Amino acid sequence: MAKIAYYPGCALNERSSHLDRSARDATVKLGFELDELDTWTCCGAVPPVSEERVMNLVAPSRILKDVRDSGRDILITICDFCYNTLKRTNFSIKSDEIIRKRVNAFLADDTPERDYLEKDDSPWEDYAGEVKVIHLMEYLRDELGYDKITESLKRSLKGLKIAPYYGCVMLRPQNEIQLDDPENPAIIEDFITALDAQPVKYPYRTECCGSYLSVSSPDASTRLCYRILTSARNNGADAIVVSCPLCFYNLDSRQKAISEAYPDFTPLPIFYFTQLLSVALGVEFGRQGFEKHYVDVTPVLDKIASSTGKGDSE
Amino acid sequence: MKRIGVFVCHCGINIAETVDVKRVAEEAKEMEGVAYAQDYIYMCSEPGQTLVREKIVEEKLDAVIIAACSPTLHESTFRAAAEEAGLNPWQCEIANIREQCSWVHTDREKATNKAIHIVATIVQKTKLNESLEPIPVSITKKALVIGGGIAGIQAALDIADSGYKVILVEKESSIGGHMAQLSETFPTLDCSQCILTPKMVAAGKHPNIELMTYSEIEGIHGYVGNFKVLIRRKAAFVDWSICNGCGLCMEKCPAKVSSVFDRELAKHGAIYVPFPQAVPNKPVIEQDSCIYFKSGQCRLCEKVCEIGAIDFEQNDQFVEEEVGAIITATGFETLPVADLAEYGAGDVPDVIDGLAFERLLSASGPTVGEVKRPSDGMVPKEIVFVQCAGSRDPERYKPYCSKICCMYTTKHALLYKHRVHDGQPYIFYIDIRTGGKGYEEFYQNAEEEEGIIYLRGKVAKIFRDGDKTVVWGTDTLTGRNIEIAADLVVLATAVIPKDSTAELAQKLRIQTGPNGFLAEAHPKLRPVESINSGFFIAGAAQGPKDIPETVAQASGAACKVISLFSRDHLEQDPAIAWVDEDLCGGCRICISVCPYDAREYDEEQGIALVNEALCEGCGSCVAACACGATQQRNLSDSQIKSMVTASLGGE
Repeated sequence: MAKIAYYPGCALNERSSHLDRSARDATVKLGFELDELDTWTCCGAVPPVSEERVMNLVAPSRILKDVRDSGRDILITICDFCYNTLKRTNFSIKSDEIIRKRVNAFLADDTPERDYLEKDDSPWEDYAGEVKVIHLMEYLRDELGYDKITESLKRSLKGLKIAPYYGCVMLRPQNEIQLDDPENPAIIEDFITALDAQPVKYPYRTECCGSYLSVSSPDASTRLCYRILTSARNNGADAIVVSCPLCFYNLDSRQKAISEAYPDFTPLPIFYFTQLLSVALGVEFGRQGFEKHYVDVTPVLDKIASSTGKGDSE
Repeated sequence: MKRIGVFVCHCGINIAETVDVKRVAEEAKEMEGVAYAQDYIYMCSEPGQTLVREKIVEEKLDAVIIAACSPTLHESTFRAAAEEAGLNPWQCEIANIREQCSWVHTDREKATNKAIHIVATIVQKTKLNESLEPIPVSITKKALVIGGGIAGIQAALDIADSGYKVILVEKESSIGGHMAQLSETFPTLDCSQCILTPKMVAAGKHPNIELMTYSEIEGIHGYVGNFKVLIRRKAAFVDWSICNGCGLCMEKCPAKVSSVFDRELAKHGAIYVPFPQAVPNKPVIEQDSCIYFKSGQCRLCEKVCEIGAIDFEQNDQFVEEEVGAIITATGFETLPVADLAEYGAGDVPDVIDGLAFERLLSASGPTVGEVKRPSDGMVPKEIVFVQCAGSRDPERYKPYCSKICCMYTTKHALLYKHRVHDGQPYIFYIDIRTGGKGYEEFYQNAEEEEGIIYLRGKVAKIFRDGDKTVVWGTDTLTGRNIEIAADLVVLATAVIPKDSTAELAQKLRIQTGPNGFLAEAHPKLRPVESINSGFFIAGAAQGPKDIPETVAQASGAACKVISLFSRDHLEQDPAIAWVDEDLCGGCRICISVCPYDAREYDEEQGIALVNEALCEGCGSCVAACACGATQQRNLSDSQIKSMVTASLGGE
């Protein structure tokens, strides 16, 4: 079975381990294996909001260089923040000579160069952005092909109305990420269609969930998530599908606060895309980590089970 | 030895401030061949020209050099002056010491030396200049106008009224263009069709205008005064020579086709005329939509046509015409709503563009002038107009201002208020631009008296929520985000050149600019001409413009054509390439480099000749010619060699 280098990141190692496990299960069913890097560090997580130009690129660059040094040229990630961080770091290294030299000065094994500010003519250009950073969903779309998923379906998701949620960093900034049109994307809709489910159109699919405001101003995030969830629900969604652990946290766990703040609110189940994929490919419900969800997903699972006659008893 | 006179111009202080003109004149006097030199404050003024004329006679000069501004400005002025004094015009040369010297330098000493070198260079050229005669070229006094919108109609009428024949070619089955789609026109609010249709009828009936609608340009060759044009007359599947336009076929046709003219807000049959006032008022069958062409069954139109005008066997016809001048007036298109992803990508039914709103306002439109939104026919109570939808957005869409939107959006909001008194229009804008006679007053009145709310800011997102169309924007004057749950949204989409413009421009070998609009020869002084002689441009094909400007430009282009036709023959500049037939080896490299198709191979002699009527004297072939057989008149290899030496300070 083909093995592809895989960077899980911190969330998938702990809080979102169900995203990690469902991804591993699903990819095996599709004929390839996510091969976790032997050693890996934090990706840096917040370079998108950082003013620093070089230091924040060192950790992700080291990860990318390790992949290259192990003789591989593709790295799969799933968490949208890891994807954004690694891909943008690679973009900077490829397109900006000064950044390339400064970062490589830090990565050098022999004499790590610390006072990089004076060293624009640094001779280190070892890692030049050779690794291609790919989101798992991007891999499914472009390398494997969504057709292959449809051919491998074991459970029918027919009749299930799923609302895609993109969040912010999966698609932006477009010139660096180049995954899809950030104003009018289709990658998750097409994924839902490949699972034989029905994508729901609603206007809030690319609006902000509050992201890190969840920590500093939870009320703001509550208000934003309420609008997203209500709009999806009003447009007929049975559930929302996401790929980002932070989006998942805000949209799922925050429904407790939303229910308290908005009496008219009806909860809506949230899935990782890998969970729906894994379920559709026949992996047991019990392996999906649904117990980690705040909102009960049983109504959706019941629909799947009744439409195929294939519940978790299989 | 020639006796050359050098006249150094101060150009006020334009030259004299940076260049010591007196020294240039003194140094020129010392140059070999120079018999006279003098400076003067304004050489192009009447006393300046008189000085040149008098000295030619008094000093018995054989040639003159005017050291002044660029030859593009005053070469013809001084050549005319020289001719009056009895010189051959090609014995008058310009030494450009302004644009190429005083304007671009600050060091007086160095600039003066450079000016002296420039004069010395031109002296070397002038020594060897031959006297030339212009090349006479005959003219076919018949014009071709491409595009039957208001620009093409106006140009055709102006040329035809002056007594010359015109062929007016239009791609659609009727002339009229976008102006026929409009409701009322700013700032006077006169009905667009009411002022247009008389002109359409006049063009259709004019004895000097041959209308060729439903036709396209296939190919073209020739040169100014003598073009040969191949025109494809598309099969209408209706014999227009007998069709009386009764319209019965259109009533009976069972096919349903979205009307392009009505911006897809209405449907017509597969056999149709685009609008009732069409000229000519003859239908065409759209082959892709016709049930008979698709399935082999139907022919209902044929059955109901009493005079037997339907002809399913018709084929495209090709006709060749000879014309002397060509006006391109192919008009504009607007950026498709589907291209604007953040504004619903064309999927929100109640987001329409300005032209669609014109159809909703038009008395002859699909709603007979009542404002009803497309999704459910409801009369919108709140309506949002979004300006600069795709314009002034260099990062994502078009960098330029589409120019007409500020005015037509204000007009839209005003006409909407006149029809729906309790309705509320909002206009999102970046700036309001009202350059035009009566425009600012029109806008002021709309803003102060009509209850239109102007919001200064861009719209971020438009989406459908239930039966509302929600608009998210920013009011940058209050710094607040705005959300409007509107009933209808009208986008002032960017004006873009028609799809077909690029292809046509390539066929005609005329230039387009960075945004695809036709390029004028000079942005200020030659706005209605292409750089290639014999080609003229008019209307929005050259850039976004409103009706008055379009009409003015069309009349301007027509006037240029009339002026061309008023001559017995054309005079071609003789300072072009020529071939020493004994030297030419027939390698034909000149043919491959010529941008004007002016070089042709003579099979019999085995050499490459110059078509003097086509040659623009660019010099490409002269430079490319490996054996020196091709030379440019008055820019021979020996002239260039001595000019280079002189420019470097050598003797």
